[in-house]
Amino acid sequence: MLQKKICMLGAFGVGKTSLVRRFVDTIFSDNYLTTVGVKLDKKTLAVGAETVNLILWDIAGEDDTSAVRTTYLRGSAGYLLVADGTRASTLDVACSIHSRAEAEIGRVPFMLLVNKCDLRSEWAIPESRLDELAALGWTIRPTSAKTGESVEAAFQEFAERAVR
Amino acid sequence: MEVLPPTVAESLRSLIYQQRALAYVLVDHSLVLVRAGGYLEHYGLMKLELFEPACSQMDFLEGLLPLAETPFLIRSMEMPSGRVADVHFFADCDGVWILLLDVTTEHGEARLVQQKAYDMTLLSEREARLIEQLEAANRALAESREDLLRTHRRLDRELQDAAHYVQSILPPPFSEPFVADWRFVPSSELGGDAFGYHWVDADHFALFLLDVCGHGVGAAMLSMVVANMLRSKGLANTNFRAPDEVLTALNRVYQMEDHNDLYFSIWYGVYRPSERRLKYAAAGHHPAILVAGEPADRGRIETLHARGPSLGIAPTATYTCEEHLVPSPSRLFVFSDGTFEVGKPDGTMLDFAEFLDVLAAPVAAGTSELDRLLDFVRGMHGPGSLEDDFSIVKLAL
Repeated sequence: MLQKKICMLGAFGVGKTSLVRRFVDTIFSDNYLTTVGVKLDKKTLAVGAETVNLILWDIAGEDDTSAVRTTYLRGSAGYLLVADGTRASTLDVACSIHSRAEAEIGRVPFMLLVNKCDLRSEWAIPESRLDELAALGWTIRPTSAKTGESVEAAFQEFAERAVR
Repeated sequence: MEVLPPTVAESLRSLIYQQRALAYVLVDHSLVLVRAGGYLEHYGLMKLELFEPACSQMDFLEGLLPLAETPFLIRSMEMPSGRVADVHFFADCDGVWILLLDVTTEHGEARLVQQKAYDMTLLSEREARLIEQLEAANRALAESREDLLRTHRRLDRELQDAAHYVQSILPPPFSEPFVADWRFVPSSELGGDAFGYHWVDADHFALFLLDVCGHGVGAAMLSMVVANMLRSKGLANTNFRAPDEVLTALNRVYQMEDHNDLYFSIWYGVYRPSERRLKYAAAGHHPAILVAGEPADRGRIETLHARGPSLGIAPTATYTCEEHLVPSPSRLFVFSDGTFEVGKPDGTMLDFAEFLDVLAAPVAAGTSELDRLLDFVRGMHGPGSLEDDFSIVKLAL
């Protein structure tokens, strides 16, 4: 069976763990629990005719004092950058991590998930910034771990790209 | 490296092995698991099969082997059992050794500290966002308030212009062949009172005072229109020397359903100097007052009653004409209810008898009973604007 390592990257509190929980276990909790270190999850998907095991590395979020350890990305088939639509600064963090990740492991598939689309009226990330990134070739998907909106579809789409 | 005494080395080994629940595996260069030992069950790594591919048995190895650098450390990795381990990698000639050391306790403590810090940070970020939103809302509110103020100032100017117009079309006082004088104090910029006087012909002098219900632009516009209509004798087929005819005609024209539900009271009189005869009619209006006698003396009050409903209420209403011979000398006062329906600071109302008493009181030379009455009313009312328009017209006959 095909096995692919996918890393979840982003600033702290953007909902990386919640997205994994929603995707893997289809559950969501409003209680925010920070991730320290790395947490692994596995989800088996059908991609075309193949069955793929996604090994999801949920890596602790980046903050002002601790950067994401990009060495953990080694061997990844791709990574998902996660930003919180209600916190504009988290998009800057995602962009910064992307640069460092690319420097560490080279060009691999990635996707930007702009989470908390259930709070769209409170979004602080300007559409123009997302348009700029899309123009650079970024794949951007709004998601809500809380409602589940677009979560499964985004992971499925990304798995197909990672397997390709 | 310093060679530790055997006892220390053994103690250290025992300490790490037991307290850190050491587990280890060896993966050869073909990525096959060739050795495994220690507390593997502690980490949920049961049923490992030697001489089988390592990565399919331990998900966390996916993509990491062969090692890009040695030694290599993954801190605080949550294992299938829920325990948290620091995972150490190092290579030797046999392959890659992977050691797992339990850090669950430290992980829990670090998580608590980090949780607090992130909660605080998220809270302060949220607070900053809310403050920013509040400031934006305040700015919008201030702009909106400024717009409102501009609109208010413009409306205020327009109201003042309208008030000036109302004042400007009131007839000027005169003193020949008899004295005509008035006082007009609207309760707001625009009130509902209007009055006027004019010669219908050489021997008929018309005087009217009307009070439209309510105040403001609507009431003022109707009062001005009616006053202009009377002044210009604009009612068709109407004898303006006959007060009853005038009121009946006005009532036909100004029915309230055609005039924004506004109705009004009016007193209309025609004085004929050659006969000293006053004909008058009233619609919903209180009587006019005639004060007979020399101004220097206390006058004799004569009340000029006339009946009829307010104009605009009943289309078929009729009005009667009353007549009164005017003693010489006399002063005729026609006024709105705002001159005597005055609230006092203690909540009681001004007594009409007190009002009449002020009108009838002797007038010192060089003074006006109209000013005296206005001062009296203001004194009774206390500080602040009067609740209703104060309008009074005097003819000294």
